[in-house]
Amino acid sequence: MTGMSKSFDGNLVLDDVNLTVEPGQIHALLGENGAGKSTLLNILAGVLPADAGTIVFDGITYHDASINQMEAAGLSFVHQELNVINDLTVSENIFFNHELTYPLGVLKRSQMLAETQALFERFAVDINPTAKVSDLKTGQKQMLEICRALHLDAKLMILDEPTTALGNDEIDHLFALIRQLKANGKSVIFVSHKMPEIFQIADTYTVLRNGQLVSEGSIADTTPLAVTRAMVGEHRGTTAGYRQRPLGDVVLEVSSLTSDAFTGVNLKVHRGEILALTGLAGCGASELLQSMFGAFPTLSGTIEIGGKPVSGGIGAFARHGVGMLPTNRKENSVIPDVSVLENVYLAEHCLAFWPPYIVKRRELERYEPLGEMLGIRAASPDMGINSLSGGNQQKVFLARWLNTDADIMLFDNPTQGVDVGAKEDIYELILDLADKGKTIVINTLEIPEIQKVSDRCVVLYSGAVVADLPHDAINEHDVMAYATNAIDARS
Amino acid sequence: MEKKQAFRPLDALSSLWRNHSYVFVFVVLLVIYAITIEATGKTFNTGHISAILSSQNTVIVGSMAIGQALVIITGQIDLSVGSGMVLTAGVTSLVFNLTGSVPLTILAALATGVLLGTINGVLVAYAKMPPFIVTLGTMLIFRSLALWAVRLIPASITGSPSSQFALDSTKPGYNWLRMQFGTGSIKLGSFAIPYVSILFIVILILFVLIATKTKYGKSVYAVGSNAKAAGLAGVSVQRVKASVFIVTGLLVGVAAIIQECKVGNVTPATSGMSFEMYSIAAVVLGGIAMAGGRGNVLGVLFGALSYATVVFIIVSIPALGADIQNTFQGLVLILVILVQTAGPSIRERFRRKRVTS
Repeated sequence: MTGMSKSFDGNLVLDDVNLTVEPGQIHALLGENGAGKSTLLNILAGVLPADAGTIVFDGITYHDASINQMEAAGLSFVHQELNVINDLTVSENIFFNHELTYPLGVLKRSQMLAETQALFERFAVDINPTAKVSDLKTGQKQMLEICRALHLDAKLMILDEPTTALGNDEIDHLFALIRQLKANGKSVIFVSHKMPEIFQIADTYTVLRNGQLVSEGSIADTTPLAVTRAMVGEHRGTTAGYRQRPLGDVVLEVSSLTSDAFTGVNLKVHRGEILALTGLAGCGASELLQSMFGAFPTLSGTIEIGGKPVSGGIGAFARHGVGMLPTNRKENSVIPDVSVLENVYLAEHCLAFWPPYIVKRRELERYEPLGEMLGIRAASPDMGINSLSGGNQQKVFLARWLNTDADIMLFDNPTQGVDVGAKEDIYELILDLADKGKTIVINTLEIPEIQKVSDRCVVLYSGAVVADLPHDAINEHDVMAYATNAIDARS
Repeated sequence: MEKKQAFRPLDALSSLWRNHSYVFVFVVLLVIYAITIEATGKTFNTGHISAILSSQNTVIVGSMAIGQALVIITGQIDLSVGSGMVLTAGVTSLVFNLTGSVPLTILAALATGVLLGTINGVLVAYAKMPPFIVTLGTMLIFRSLALWAVRLIPASITGSPSSQFALDSTKPGYNWLRMQFGTGSIKLGSFAIPYVSILFIVILILFVLIATKTKYGKSVYAVGSNAKAAGLAGVSVQRVKASVFIVTGLLVGVAAIIQECKVGNVTPATSGMSFEMYSIAAVVLGGIAMAGGRGNVLGVLFGALSYATVVFIIVSIPALGADIQNTFQGLVLILVILVQTAGPSIRERFRRKRVTS
């Protein structure tokens, strides 16, 4: 791709960008959210037309090609969001839109099943081809999505942040699979925010910043620090990082709490404390966090807030000063058709229904200090929420709960799909909030994130608490060992 | 980015078109109506506008369409409004004929409407049934109950010997309900504004304010835009989903009062036929998205007026009979939505041509 440019409504999002991938090469495409990565890839895949520039793929020049044309040319795209069809079986998903049929369109079911089986065996994927996709775990769905692309036997495969939904074993598996592709002379464009992954798998890289190419070359010739600096630019230094603060009384106490996803959990959280919950995908940490907000049903046990037992739905917990930033922002947080301001005041209005009318001036008076404190970059609070970047949206939803004066803030995977710079902002905000006496519980899979902010880390394995580590004892090796139950296996 | 743009009338007009295209639709139809009137040798005057304002397509369908708009904004649908209005109007007649009391009659109409709406709302929100199915069922039930009752109850109580519910003209409140409120109007010079139209517009303004200026209104939009996210922000999604059906029931009660006062009777076999579809059409013509979350309740006023105008246009052309009416109503609906959906993509194509050439 050479000289690619694209603008939306007069905003230049890609400015004369080049990208070259050789056969048998794994190429990392890097950049903060909004740097233009997705736009570039969407142009390559035929989803968007380019304003200028040429695409040469496998010796042929393409211009305003359609998705189907690019797919036929040997390009497959695994998008960041899951695009599997839940109501079909695994095998039906693999063959979706490419079904093998007898005349009159009758499906060759057994042949498709056999081919799916063969595909899974070739890449050592452990999924039942006849299973219904809705019964699969998220990680398996992501692998299915990748297998669908593999099945097309594409010459170039685009993987847009494929590892966010995967556990460590699954990531290793994916990397083995990518190396297998490479050995067969196929190419891969790999988008990720995780430096260790990139340095483990990629051969070459391109860094975009604000729609411009800022750095490219061979991974062997660079360092993670240099790449991060290229992504972020020179203006941002490192954050202050972790700092200790005095803790107050116990404000949140969970006793023998049991649900479908976890059993017999006991936890005590103090005022001003930052507690991290972690574990592999499916360990029950996210569900535990949700149950502390009334968003996940429990079977037995109690949750006490400020010494008083609380039960019921989200409304009951919100009235006791609990707020939650849910995982999967697009699905669980964004109210797409309304403005930034309306997204912010929604939660507060549910708690304070009186007076029933809205005075916009008063709402703005509440919003402005929050927007300033959180650094929400929106030209106007009346803008549509979808015009904001992921990190900015996340700040809006944090404002939604801070606006209710919540004392206990729960964060479920708060930095998912957020760029490096905004991640730093969010860590800093979490530390600031704790300094102001807020109590914070975070569920995250990213251990460096835990090291940076949390006073204590509770590790779950298969629905049970297996470790409760103080700040000084948190390190990548130990947390991973508990999360994978390696310690239990050793003894 | 920060620089102030000079006011450009064409841009203002195009933004008005994008956000309030329903106003243009109504103006265009009104002009067509004026032309057809003039073409038949008569003069278009304020009387014609009064007639549109007080048409049953405006006041009766329009009242129910306000509720339908809230239901559709939450991403649901109510097919039972037409039948519900017939049953409610039947109950209203009975209460009037038995008691002769105007306040009791009004109370009975509103209470019956709310009851019918609550049945829909509870089944949809708490039994988690699809709104289409629930209201399809209640649509059949409500009309059938009215039909069954009108034949069962003696004519002295229904107020009419011919399978109708009618207000008893011998009761003292009759004159006030029918002659003064139902068919009377305020005269502003030569312009007569019917009382029923004033009632409709007052209710409409009230609901525009509820939708845009209250916490409840915002929660209705939030539920329609993303119910899951609204729930996680603390909105009681079930309560909001049920409430819009109950509000619609209340407005069905208002529509029943207007029906009884304006027309004087209701015939379960024929009255309010397809009103649920007309109400949906008025909502869609008013620019409210069927997918929920987007749209302006004010649009319902113009949607209902547009529909009423189409009927008047057809009636004013002697060559066209009433049978062809639905064809034109259907055409207008499809044409308007076609322009709204195909318009932006055509514009985009022109813009791209300009950029590339």
